[in-house]
Amino acid sequence: MARESRPLDATPRAASADPISNFRRSLIQTPGSQRRPLGLSASGRKIAPPTATPHARAAFRTIDSRRAAIFTPHRARRKSVREARDSPRDLLLGLGRVLAKKTEPIVTSSSSPGDTPNTSRSDDDSHETTLGPLHMSYDDDDEADLPKRPRLSLPIDREDDSGSDDLVPHRSILLDNEDNFTMQSVEMPRRAYSEGPGGRLSMNSTRMSDFFNTNDMLHSEDFGRESGMFPPINAIEEEGTFTMADIMSPERLESDAGRRETGHESDFGIHVPVDIDDQTSFVINPEVQSSPVRQPADLDEPVYEDFAPMEDARSDSYDGGVDDGPDDFGDVGNLPDMEDEDLDNAANETTRMDTGNITETEVLTHAQRAELRAAAAARKKRINISKHGIQYPSLPPAVVKRLAQNFAKTSGAKGKITPDAMNAIMQASDWFFEQLGEDLEAYSKHAGRNTINESDVITLMRRQRHINSQTTPFALASRYLPRELLQDLRMPPPVLSKIRRKTGEEAAPEAEEDESVT
Amino acid sequence: MGQKLYPRATVKKIVKAHSNCSISKNADVMIFLDYMLFMQNLVKEASIEAKKGGERGITARSVKKVTADSLAKFKG
Repeated sequence: MARESRPLDATPRAASADPISNFRRSLIQTPGSQRRPLGLSASGRKIAPPTATPHARAAFRTIDSRRAAIFTPHRARRKSVREARDSPRDLLLGLGRVLAKKTEPIVTSSSSPGDTPNTSRSDDDSHETTLGPLHMSYDDDDEADLPKRPRLSLPIDREDDSGSDDLVPHRSILLDNEDNFTMQSVEMPRRAYSEGPGGRLSMNSTRMSDFFNTNDMLHSEDFGRESGMFPPINAIEEEGTFTMADIMSPERLESDAGRRETGHESDFGIHVPVDIDDQTSFVINPEVQSSPVRQPADLDEPVYEDFAPMEDARSDSYDGGVDDGPDDFGDVGNLPDMEDEDLDNAANETTRMDTGNITETEVLTHAQRAELRAAAAARKKRINISKHGIQYPSLPPAVVKRLAQNFAKTSGAKGKITPDAMNAIMQASDWFFEQLGEDLEAYSKHAGRNTINESDVITLMRRQRHINSQTTPFALASRYLPRELLQDLRMPPPVLSKIRRKTGEEAAPEAEEDESVT
Repeated sequence: MGQKLYPRATVKKIVKAHSNCSISKNADVMIFLDYMLFMQNLVKEASIEAKKGGERGITARSVKKVTADSLAKFKG
């Protein structure tokens, strides 16, 4: 960084005066600033690097080196200062240059009285006003070399060398030298350019293939996009799809119609008229929404009919729960399956076997009962009914919210949780407890007990990979639970010994750790 | 924490209702520990999902999207 910062400071000086530039890098930059406006821009760019990343700095260095390589004359006799950076002996050249500055008048005097050049200069006297200062500026750079080249030094030749040969031949030579960089730099955009249309073509092809797949109603999204992108093609092929759909499976449309008629899903009921309208005018309207709505319905016929209403019912009741609160939360807890089961129980009790055709009065009474129950108890806690027909409250939202906020803070997000998200979390925690209860029941029943022990919970957590040879349950508890609960865990000795024994059976070192910890 | 971490009786009731089993004296502490782990996982995944979706905080969408995965992760 120190080296980097020096040339930064040095660039303005270097533009003004050469002799300060003793260091390599300052030597590199001074001619750039002197000779070319490009060099100036390069030095101007170099201002950026110290703030930039090391890669960016390296990139700047390579760019500058390329530029220097392009714009430096590359003759053997006439060594440019930019090359001086590359060859180690150019320190000596730099010194020679500094010394040559002092000998400057000698050089000029030696060059001016030169016999042969006089004629040429006298010829060029008219041009000296224009070309003269250029010579001088070049001489400033190359004065170290000037004494070496004694009498051949025709300023005209130098002009030709510098002026004409600068760009073209040296570029070619340097290209030969540094093939890789420059060639790559030239070719990179070409590749990108060539890849562009190819990718588009491939995209087109894939889209076309997708498009044919959409005849099988597989990719609804691509379908919709395509309709947006290319309406005429769509028009043609969608007509094809429609005919295909009609020919292949008339049942689909029928099922759609049936679904519309029944309209047992509120969401689909909303979307249905749109679809009906689209079937006639779908070609014209590139509506993205309509196709995905309609097609998955076609796709998943057997599965979806069972599945969709459940989801919708949940989501509906869920959203309703946000608005209305207690009434619908009773429904949230009671999954439709459960309601059906309860209904089945009721039906079995009354020895009515047709569960599918239960009279609506019963459904209503049952639902009303549930609602009444929920409404009655909802003031304090929402009451749900489990699989076993036992009422249970859900966790108080304040507790869940506090937990979630704490974990959200620790996980990096803000501690703020919207009420919608809170409801979703409550739902998830309800499901979690349901799943956990069933698992624990299975474990305890498998052990021949009718009581859920801590060993069951530990087994569960081991199966969840929360407890393994590295982490003991006690370590987890001490990490997450507050002191009071830890003390509850600790206080009764038999419980702890149980934990120890459990871990001791599995892995000996754990037990040792536990003992050492406790 | 000034207030108690969670209502033990409620947790016991919930698990009891779901499992139709009685629960030993201090098992609910471990159950709640597991619940805390679940909540941590859920919230972490939800916040990741929210960041991925460009949302500001944890929203219902991110939570719903993640719920199935974390429930499956906590399947015994």
